[in-house]
Amino acid sequence: MAHLLLDSSIRLWVVLPIVFITFIVGVLRHYVTQLLHNEKKVDLQQVSDSQVLLRSRILRENGKYLPKQSFAMRKHYFNNPETGFFKKVKRKVIPKNPMTDTSMLTDMMKGNLTNVLPMILIGGWINWAFSGFVTTKVPFPLTLRFKPMLQRGIELLSLDASWVSSASWYFLNVFGLRSMYTLILGQDNAADQSRIMQDQMTGAAMAMPPDPNKAFKSEWEALEIVEHRWALENVEEELMCQDLNFRGLFS
Amino acid sequence: MSSISELYDVSWEEMRDKLRKWREENYRNSEQIVDVGEELINEHASKLGDDIWIIYEQVMIAALDCSRDDLAWSCLQELKRQFPDSHRVKRLAGMRLEALERYEDANKLYDSILQDDPTNTAARKRKISILRAQGKSSEAIRELNEYLEQFVGDQEAWHELSELYINEHDYAKAAFCLEELMMTNPHNHLYCEQYAEVKYTQGGLENLELARKYFAQALKLNNRNMRALFGLYMSASHIAASPKVSAKVKKDNVKYAAWATSQISRAYQMAGRGKKENKCSVKAVEEMLESMQITMS
Repeated sequence: MAHLLLDSSIRLWVVLPIVFITFIVGVLRHYVTQLLHNEKKVDLQQVSDSQVLLRSRILRENGKYLPKQSFAMRKHYFNNPETGFFKKVKRKVIPKNPMTDTSMLTDMMKGNLTNVLPMILIGGWINWAFSGFVTTKVPFPLTLRFKPMLQRGIELLSLDASWVSSASWYFLNVFGLRSMYTLILGQDNAADQSRIMQDQMTGAAMAMPPDPNKAFKSEWEALEIVEHRWALENVEEELMCQDLNFRGLFS
Repeated sequence: MSSISELYDVSWEEMRDKLRKWREENYRNSEQIVDVGEELINEHASKLGDDIWIIYEQVMIAALDCSRDDLAWSCLQELKRQFPDSHRVKRLAGMRLEALERYEDANKLYDSILQDDPTNTAARKRKISILRAQGKSSEAIRELNEYLEQFVGDQEAWHELSELYINEHDYAKAAFCLEELMMTNPHNHLYCEQYAEVKYTQGGLENLELARKYFAQALKLNNRNMRALFGLYMSASHIAASPKVSAKVKKDNVKYAAWATSQISRAYQMAGRGKKENKCSVKAVEEMLESMQITMS
């Protein structure tokens, strides 16, 4: 375990400036994204479909508070083999090809511009400006395979992999300052890069998945198996086993 | 004419917080809102910051309720200046036209909003309210049905539709609307109670039983709902007095009615606690309950 004593001016002139730069760039990115952001046009059909699905789900959950016949009527409306909503309604699904669909293309470009480009630029500049020396040490031991990645510019074979260069300190900051952004810019801010990457992975889960037909089918199956157990079967007996509590009625 | 802050000795922050509370809980005390809001706008506008725009909106709607056209106009001007292209402000302009009974102009305005943004629910709902204000209830019902076909989740609209159907005496459909509301808000005792009342009005043994059950449910959700308690008593005694029921059902319902009677007397006794006329009022309650008995002639 090599104990290295680093010059304290590294701390003053490298570590802190990098934190500062990352933070400022993040805040700037947030405002630029807000400026370039354009309102997403909501499709009436999608809104309507999502509300219908919500109603069906509520029917499954709270149907037990309705009289048996009302529940049966609604279930019939949704699931009837010939005239049921989920059986009859088939939405035309146009697979959204990211290359040809113009709105998605511009969105992607804007996303790339505001997020990836600054990261590359600043990362490169830091690599050029702050290279050739050890910046900091990560508190946990790393294997030797991390050395070429984290120790760009430091050609020392015997150096512990825990000592990293300024470029890796920069990347550490990019992810670490996420909670700072939440504190200062409020929830749901555009400076949060990791959230953006998460979004790309989960896809459009919010406003109606690109395939409403699949959603309808799964909702149909779920509704088929639901039975109606009336919650009000014994409500009078439950109510009358004790006196009513009038506290607060007369003040 | 002293100001609110002098009369009640409140600071401007408290007035602003009160307005926020009224706004979030959907109160409709328009006169109070106009008094408090007008003073806030005139005296403390600079201290409110960005809150002032939503206060303008709230005060404008309250001013329309109180026929204060001058105040409504000035609020609308401020909002128009700040948000020139906003649909929300356009809707407020339309509401002002409605208040002046210029329904054609209001309709044109709402149509222009809908052309721009077909999913704007506020404009569609205002158009339906225009129909209702003009007394065209069957058209209003038709439009509202179409609206609900697309926006099934809008609870305000379901409630409005149930009211319209009750006015038209179409109780079966009103019951359907109330069922939607009960489904989405199973713990709201008021919807249960309204549903039970509609069922009771429809009449017939099955409906009376349903009514009794839902009155009981409303009482279970909120023990202090006196209306539900009376409803329980009425439906139980109605069923018990009907000639077509079996002996067991009759016995059960008589038991329910007796329990309801005892609870009602208890409530009135508690109300009259410490007052001199308690004994007479208790006797009056008993007589009232006797007279409410349904007798089959």
